[in-house]
Amino acid sequence: MTVPQPTPEEIKERATIDRSTRYPVMFFFTSAAAWLLAATILGFLSSLKLRVPGLWDECQFMGYGRLFPAHLNALVYGWAMQAGIGVMLWLMARLTRTPLRQTVAVLVTGHLWNAAVALAVCTVWFGFGKSIPLLDFPTWVWPILAIAYALTVMWVIPMFRTRREGLPYISEMFVVGAVLWFPWIFVTANILINKGTAPVMGAGLNAWFISNLSYFWMAPVSLAVAYYIIPKISGRPIFSYPLAHASFWLLAFLAGWTGFSRYMGGPFPAWMSAISGAASIFILLAIVATVVNLMISLKGCSKLWRYSPSLRFTVFGMLMLAIYAILSAASSTYFFGKDLQFSHFMVGLDTLAFYGFFSMTIFGAIYFIVPRITGSEWPSGERIRTHFWFSAYGIITLVITMLVGGIAQGGDLAVWDRAFSVSFVNSSAYVVGRATAWGLIGYSNLLFLCQLYQMFIGKGRKSEGPTLLHTEPGKAASAKAAAGMS
Amino acid sequence: MKFDRFAKLIAGLSLAFALPWIFLVMVPFITGSNLEALPYPEGQDIDGGVTAYPDKALYQYGSSDYGRQVYAAEGCAYCHTQVIRPTYAGADMWRKGWGGREEDGFARETQARDYLQEEIAPLGYQRIGPDLSNVGHRITDRDLMHRHLFDPTSIDRDSGMPAFLHLYDEAPDGSKLVPNKKAEALVDYLLSLKKDQPLPSKG
Repeated sequence: MTVPQPTPEEIKERATIDRSTRYPVMFFFTSAAAWLLAATILGFLSSLKLRVPGLWDECQFMGYGRLFPAHLNALVYGWAMQAGIGVMLWLMARLTRTPLRQTVAVLVTGHLWNAAVALAVCTVWFGFGKSIPLLDFPTWVWPILAIAYALTVMWVIPMFRTRREGLPYISEMFVVGAVLWFPWIFVTANILINKGTAPVMGAGLNAWFISNLSYFWMAPVSLAVAYYIIPKISGRPIFSYPLAHASFWLLAFLAGWTGFSRYMGGPFPAWMSAISGAASIFILLAIVATVVNLMISLKGCSKLWRYSPSLRFTVFGMLMLAIYAILSAASSTYFFGKDLQFSHFMVGLDTLAFYGFFSMTIFGAIYFIVPRITGSEWPSGERIRTHFWFSAYGIITLVITMLVGGIAQGGDLAVWDRAFSVSFVNSSAYVVGRATAWGLIGYSNLLFLCQLYQMFIGKGRKSEGPTLLHTEPGKAASAKAAAGMS
Repeated sequence: MKFDRFAKLIAGLSLAFALPWIFLVMVPFITGSNLEALPYPEGQDIDGGVTAYPDKALYQYGSSDYGRQVYAAEGCAYCHTQVIRPTYAGADMWRKGWGGREEDGFARETQARDYLQEEIAPLGYQRIGPDLSNVGHRITDRDLMHRHLFDPTSIDRDSGMPAFLHLYDEAPDGSKLVPNKKAEALVDYLLSLKKDQPLPSKG
């Protein structure tokens, strides 16, 4: 099946839309990539500190309890959310065929967001944190983040409402969902936790926030990308559109119930972790249905991901999403969860969400978007390939070592008369894997950052054809299709 | 027409989120905010003239309120939990000294009221180090607690804890380390950690 070719007017219109988003979207991408590099360095240092506890003892800024939360904040608010916002703006402009008119406003709020992230990272790092993952900045920081977010993404709503014809595409629904849900969970969690009247719910809400951030923000944004990139590059429609709709609503109705299973057996009524566990298991249906739907749409096009960087990253991200859903469902049952709870596995699971499925899909989107808005091609396909393999091996190493290390650690803790330090000693070998993984990811992102800045300052390759992962003589036609020339 | 479609989508998305928001977040939060101390029934004999569970005075120790902030700021909760799970969810209560005073041979799981003196219960993220719910029973000596902070490997060779040297200043003659305000407050807080107050018996 082939897609109708765009008319010259349509190509012109697309170019206008792409140009309108150029500066804000490039601003979000480049500053996000810089935060990502900072986050990977902090991640590497914190893993090293965990493996060698005596390292840098004199320096208060190099403690694990300071480095690790700073790393998480930089990774999620600095990189993931910022890159996601850029992708959302571009995707919405393209899908609704509306140019982004508020360029200056978005640039201003983008700077505000970066300032707030810098505050969030630095306050935690310099010792004003609250020891609750991802919400541990001082109370006055969160309103800045919330306002910057709202003022940046609110332009998506008028775009959605002025779209011209037909039913909304599934990607638009995911974007609108992500736009609305994030402020709701973020404001709720921050207000209630800082109110401090229900201490135990404060911790529970923190777990609820982390899980909701994955399923209510990161999953929708990456699915919006996947539902756009995969049909675009393969040139085929989604295999089953009703299935896509059904899994969208299934995800929407279930995601809010997840999270409390992280503290199962904790000081909460038992029904709360039970219902969260059940929701995590049922969500598996939505995620697996979505991923299978997308993979079937690609059937027979497997050659394309040899060439297209966007497709390769996106497909890898979707597979990671399925693995994330499976692992989080497994760990919310007592059978697996009671040993994995509080072990290294939880770090692996969270990183799988933030880096594994979200970032990899977003890289796919960035490789697709940037050439279109800057009007030049990526300088080197080889470096994209290195970026992919180092990132992929990095995240796989991290997840596997943290899973196995978590099982080792949890198994030692489950034997009641075994000395506690045994669990530390036995699992610390796996922390080497975590440090190695951040090293690999750090190298891959250094390359990514260099390429992105080259594109930013207009030093991209000026060429008719897109940059592919491999170039084979005589295959230019298929290669051109592979990169989704449109 | 356009508005209808948009309104429908927004209504659907809001409904999807409102259900868990009300039932999993707001209702438990309001219930949790209204937790009151439970009086002990007549005939239940409690040491020390304590009349209700929890008795907040039991959890105050010196500058433990400031120590709580130091505990949070140093990120202690990233490696130490403060939650004892019931036996069906893990072996926490069998571990010596975790679920209560070791010599009493009594242990119980932590409950919501055990955290009423906190603003945010530091349940913790991981267990790189041991659970601290009842560390105030396990380590009662102030100097020993300080040694755990500035030189943990001198107590357990395999300890994975870093030395928190920035909480200690060198004495003027350079012979020993002197705890600063933060270290004293943190030790006060750690010594105050006891989550095994007897529960009121029912009826």
